[in-house]
Amino acid sequence: MIDFVQNTIDGVMIGASYGLLALGFTLIFGVMRRLNLSYGPSIMIGAYLGTLIYVQFSAGPVAVVVMTVLGAVLAGIYVERLCFAPMAASAGIASMVSSFAIWMQLEQAAILILPRHTYPFPPLATGAPLELGPFLLRIDHLMMLACALLLSAGVQYVIYRSRFGLALRAIIGNPVAAHLVGIDVKTSVMLAFAGASAVGGIAGYLVLAIDQQVTPMFGMWATMKGLIAMMIGGLGSIPGAILGGLVLGVVEAHSLWHFGPQVRDLVAYLLLFACLVLRPSGILGDAPAAETSIGRRSA
Amino acid sequence: MLVVSDLVAAYGKIEALKGVSLRAETGRITCLLGPNGAGKTTLMMSIAGILKPRRGSIRLGDTELTGLSPARIVGQGIALVPENRLVFPQMSVLENLLAGAYQRGDKAEIAADVERMYDRFPRLRERREQLAGTLSGGEQQMLAVARALMSRPRVLLMDEPSLGLAPLVVAEIFRIVSELNRDGTTIFLVEQNAHMALQVAHHFYLMEQGRVTFSGSPGQLAEDEVIQRAYLGARRAGG
Ligand SMILES: Nc1ncnc2c1ncn2[C@@H]1O[C@H](COP(=O)(O)OP(=O)(O)OP(=O)(O)O)[C@@H](O)[C@H]1O
Ligand SMILES: [Mg+2]
Repeated sequence: MIDFVQNTIDGVMIGASYGLLALGFTLIFGVMRRLNLSYGPSIMIGAYLGTLIYVQFSAGPVAVVVMTVLGAVLAGIYVERLCFAPMAASAGIASMVSSFAIWMQLEQAAILILPRHTYPFPPLATGAPLELGPFLLRIDHLMMLACALLLSAGVQYVIYRSRFGLALRAIIGNPVAAHLVGIDVKTSVMLAFAGASAVGGIAGYLVLAIDQQVTPMFGMWATMKGLIAMMIGGLGSIPGAILGGLVLGVVEAHSLWHFGPQVRDLVAYLLLFACLVLRPSGILGDAPAAETSIGRRSA
Repeated sequence: MLVVSDLVAAYGKIEALKGVSLRAETGRITCLLGPNGAGKTTLMMSIAGILKPRRGSIRLGDTELTGLSPARIVGQGIALVPENRLVFPQMSVLENLLAGAYQRGDKAEIAADVERMYDRFPRLRERREQLAGTLSGGEQQMLAVARALMSRPRVLLMDEPSLGLAPLVVAEIFRIVSELNRDGTTIFLVEQNAHMALQVAHHFYLMEQGRVTFSGSPGQLAEDEVIQRAYLGARRAGG
């Protein structure tokens, strides 16, 4: 029983990072209705720049956070300019395939910057874990959970309560009409992409600060986890992204404890598969998988 | 005054506008009639900046509009009520109106304008929290007009506002068109309903296969002749 609770706690904490990754994914998918496979790799570019200034100049944690987020945003805008902005609205597949090509390019770029396989990443909080009776709560895990909840609430607020959010939902609802009411569609979409990449950058920073190391595989890992969590939670739903991340994290934590690391990843894919078959719209999504609910008034 | 000169617009190789020239006088209602496929929507979308014309010019006063982005054109004081309304389906009526005022910063004035729209279209007040996609066709048309007005346009373009509406609602729309014009808005209207259009218009144009084929005032041509030329095509009717 104690193990069960502890595993669940650990799962929630790790799940929070999946939720954050899914949040950025959801924003891009909700606005563009396209899958950006380069999402994880552009976060990895940010992480590599962060670790570069850490290794070369022993930069402090604030500088590393700023560098990681900034790098992810710049790489995200690069992906948007190259794969998404030039493609016609109907060319969703072209965007997805080209985002895959950019993925490979970004991975190569990371290896060029830092050629060894593994680099250290500065830890976030090294204090002793909190003890709650028999249970342990890591400080960095708690910070991760707090960030996930705060950021998702912030994104929800921006989308449903701000002028910028109104513009994004108008673009989702009808791009031609969005032009007609005077919204600068191109700039708004680019800003949404940048915002999503910033959320991804924060998620990436938190994950790597807990792992204390970064490898070129991080890009693929972030895309996979974010994608699976988004699909489980509900395509295009902001609370769904966080919930999907938490569910994935908890299921993974239990299967890791019972069956070991290989089975953990298998279980994650099984969960995705079961979800796609039984409830294609995800837990909180109310639209079929081809649509999105970010544009709806209440998500 | 909105002046269109020698406008050519094409989709790939198909020229939809083959040198169109016309003008909408300030403070007046100008109407454009023509059969399906004549190029009316193409012209409206070109004025609004959604389509980029191949040649020709569109001027509002001294300002050249061709080449400006749709957002800039809204900034110049032009608003289009598009064909098929194009409301934002997943947003509430109120949010649709607020989106219409997107370029304005004056919060108090926007709120006052929303109230004015509700006074003009009482149905919209009743349904202000309802999602626009669940409104009836007539209600969506009212919303599309109100949304366009929220930008406080000097020139209001309307593309077939009566499309698919019951006669009573059509009459209501035209009553509002006249009212808006009396309040000082210049109106350029595309219509299939020649009867209603000729009742409100000060000036009208006929268009066919991408060309303007007639320009005059409503008294100048008998209504059934207008209808014949507009919908059956001048050549066949005149033949
Ligand atoms: N997106 C498009 N791609 C290719 N051709 C188009 C496109 N839109 C319109 N056309 C063509 O351009 C011509 C003019 O179309 P347009 O929509 O402007 O006509 P319209 O006068 O508005 O007709 P209606 O009264 O039916 O609305 C038509 O021949 C049409 O087939
Ligand atoms: Mg038309």
